[in-house]
Amino acid sequence: MRDLFLAYQSLVAFVGINGLLALSVYATLCCGQLSLANAGFMAIGAYTGALITLHSNAPFIAVLAAAALAPALVAVPLGLPVLRLRGVFLAIATIGFGEMVRLFFVNWDYTNGAMGLVAIPQRAGLWTIWLSLAVALYLLARVRGSRFGTALEAIREDETAARTMGIDTTAHKLAMLVLGAGLAGLAGGLEAHYTFMVAPGGYGFARVVEMLVQAVVGGTAAFFGPVAGAAFLTVLPEVLREAGSRLGFAPGPFRLLLNGLILLAVILYLPNGLVSLKRRKA
Amino acid sequence: MRAAANRFLSPLLLLAVVTGCKDKAGSGAASAPAGSSENAPAGAAAGAPAAGGAVIGAALSITGPAASYGAQQRAGIQAAVEELNAAGARLEVRIEDDSSTKEQGITVFQKFINLDKVSAIIGPTLSNTASAADPLAQQAMVPVLAVSNTAATGITDIGNYIWRDSLTEAQVIPGAFKKAKEKLGFNTAGVLYGNDDVFTKAGYDVMQKALENLQIKVLGTQTFAKPDRDYHAQITALAALKPDVLVISALADNAAAIVSQARQSGYTGPIVGGNGFNSPGFLKNAGAAAEGVMVGTSWNSLGTGPANQRFLEAMKKRGANPDQFSAQAYTGVYILAEAIKLAGGKTGREDIQAGLAKVHDLDTPLGKFSFTPARDAQHEPSVQQVKDGKFQIVQ
Amino acid sequence: MEQQALNGLFVGSIYALFAVGYTLVFGVLDILNLAHQAVFMLAAFIALALVAVRLPLWAALPLAMVAAGCIGLVLERVAFRPLRDRADSNISGLISSIAVATVFEAIAMQIFGPDISRFSENTFPDRIIHVGSATASLLQLCIIGISVLLMGALTLLLARTRLGRQIRAVAESPRAARVLGINVNRVIAAAFFISSALGGAAGVLFGLAFNSISPDVGRSVELKGLAVIILGGMGSIPGAVAAGFALGLIEVFTVARFGSSWRDGVSFAVLFLVLLARPRGLFGQAAAREA
Repeated sequence: MRDLFLAYQSLVAFVGINGLLALSVYATLCCGQLSLANAGFMAIGAYTGALITLHSNAPFIAVLAAAALAPALVAVPLGLPVLRLRGVFLAIATIGFGEMVRLFFVNWDYTNGAMGLVAIPQRAGLWTIWLSLAVALYLLARVRGSRFGTALEAIREDETAARTMGIDTTAHKLAMLVLGAGLAGLAGGLEAHYTFMVAPGGYGFARVVEMLVQAVVGGTAAFFGPVAGAAFLTVLPEVLREAGSRLGFAPGPFRLLLNGLILLAVILYLPNGLVSLKRRKA
Repeated sequence: MRAAANRFLSPLLLLAVVTGCKDKAGSGAASAPAGSSENAPAGAAAGAPAAGGAVIGAALSITGPAASYGAQQRAGIQAAVEELNAAGARLEVRIEDDSSTKEQGITVFQKFINLDKVSAIIGPTLSNTASAADPLAQQAMVPVLAVSNTAATGITDIGNYIWRDSLTEAQVIPGAFKKAKEKLGFNTAGVLYGNDDVFTKAGYDVMQKALENLQIKVLGTQTFAKPDRDYHAQITALAALKPDVLVISALADNAAAIVSQARQSGYTGPIVGGNGFNSPGFLKNAGAAAEGVMVGTSWNSLGTGPANQRFLEAMKKRGANPDQFSAQAYTGVYILAEAIKLAGGKTGREDIQAGLAKVHDLDTPLGKFSFTPARDAQHEPSVQQVKDGKFQIVQ
Repeated sequence: MEQQALNGLFVGSIYALFAVGYTLVFGVLDILNLAHQAVFMLAAFIALALVAVRLPLWAALPLAMVAAGCIGLVLERVAFRPLRDRADSNISGLISSIAVATVFEAIAMQIFGPDISRFSENTFPDRIIHVGSATASLLQLCIIGISVLLMGALTLLLARTRLGRQIRAVAESPRAARVLGINVNRVIAAAFFISSALGGAAGVLFGLAFNSISPDVGRSVELKGLAVIILGGMGSIPGAVAAGFALGLIEVFTVARFGSSWRDGVSFAVLFLVLLARPRGLFGQAAAREA
């Protein structure tokens, strides 16, 4: 049992980190905005945290705070112009931003370009990761239940109507973008200090797509949905690995295939994500 | 709902069975007998008993961007295990896919260390994954033998349990450039490298220093990204500077296309490549354009030692193209087997760790093999040039 | 410089051909089809397989286009139609298209392997042609020609034919189109067929031009394609054509002037600035309904 836990402890950690990332996408989704800048925010957080750890003796809590704060600060000047864009246009603009961040780190010699920073001490453990996730969930639950949350709901339903009701839609959307950026940065900082290294290759378009998929598969109607989606999709490849080896499949395309098919099945048959499964049964 | 899911999933599972069982057409390397799982002891194929023998984990990039290297490594490892077990060894190698990502690499390592209780680990394919996963093995005191990591830093300096049989770029490139300069006689260079990939960027950093030391003037430097397929703009810009030589650091796939496009757009000067060129895929895909390309290598395909002959024979039998990656992976298994032998046949982690330290002048496809005090590989690199569609060693 | 201009036109023609299909579906459905790059990839492999069984190239290209079109029909039926009435169809459609793209990639990997595949050397006559001080291969010029031809055909189809009018009507308002007695499902399927056939043609030409096809080959054009449809104006066909060529030229001159490490950054910066300054793109009026 202990061995089983030890063998899959990293999986538990990645569920927590991916949960934070899915929540960071959810933060903007819950007011109807599809922002895909989060891989970029994550990169900024990861590099900020790693650089502080490598060059100072700052306590880990301060490192994490900086990792969350740096992308949150970047999100303000980014958000003011791009949040005027709607729907897919916002998505594309933020994809562009994310790629520019990645290219910046690819070309920055100080952080060794593509090779990134290695030999980062492992300062994040399961406790830190899951505690961070719990704090994020608590925050989002509080937002959900507040007047602020009701306003977000109104913006999601109909932005123009919300504005005529006197809601400052830009301020609300910006607040959630900043919150999402902070969560992504926090996750980046945690990951950097769990996996011993950061490199720009981990923060491409594929990464943000992964976050979005996890959030939507879990379900964005409830604030815990994205975490459920992250858990499901993080564990799935391992289950498939085991199943594959029992059934005698070669590792490789087979896992990719099943991953795609399951994703398709969820999106087609469970429009409100995995969390709706429980309700249907009940 | 459940009925709907069943209806939907059952034909898909069928499809998966059909596609999953068919072996990948592109590489004869993955020639595990139909139906046998990758996870089953590779040795079982040779009919050797695995019980009581050493269990070794191999984390390879079977999918993802490094998949072509992973396939070569798998072929090399399977060949070596079959041979050794046929000769009476009791090795079981579990091959797992790290998907070319650090997260999967870490997960596979944790599984090897804690669940499979392997005696040693081979891999992972990429240096980045190694920087993320190797520290876990170091903590758990499980010996790791890297068989393809070429980054100079961040691998064996992780700790005393990390070993490698692949030469770093810094061990291969300076010598190769020196020889290339003697043979081709150039004083100015144009440089093209992949700047978003660890392997090619590390190669470039070493190249830059080597060129400086040889007092070759770099007229211009251009970059590309891994997913790129069109390099005309970079080539045109470099060719306009009229360098004596074109120096390229690229993965095999990119390399073939770059060389083809350079020749197609009329560049006729010599080309010197980095480690990524050392692949049968490069020769096959670049075709006639590859003629004359010079590259340093840690594996001499013409090596006449018995181990190399045996390796070439084994790869031929599997219908696989031998290359540096399969040679290094094949060598890796032999090194571990030798370590077990030197430990008196004991297969504990500490036994193998102690055995590895004693490996000395082992005959391998890479030549006589010994580790440096820093647990890196130490053997003579060679320089090869493409002639008549084949790599020929430059004397 | 002339050589670089030619390089830019050449890669630009493929960007444009890829993007017209991308933007056609966007114009009709308001949905970003992220499986477009996977169709692009599959078509290249199909043409490769056809040429490998000794079919001449002039037959393989149209056949691969038809095959790509059929793949597009499957894509529409499986990934988009079931989601059409959902409130969040633009996000769920995005995700289902990602799922299908993953499946396509897995299939290609299973059949063709993860490595680079290539057309055999004599698939196309190797002839060099001089244009001013620049040189081009016959293949390159043919690729530019074929792209322009296909894009012209699409423009004519949309402007002059009954199907074209129906597609434009559905793009304008599906509900109104239905009231007018248009079979909306069939028109959307037709748009997917055309879009995918064009994307497929781009894939085949790309495969021929740079002669390296792999299951992830679509990734290299996916984001470039986005930049092109933004620059040209979402849903605007002439915009996508002009922007495709423009992006090709911008990239090439960035390489020549500032060095290639700036190239992709400049593409995304252009995308970003166009979105902020002129969200409708250069040919915005054609896509007026987007705002």
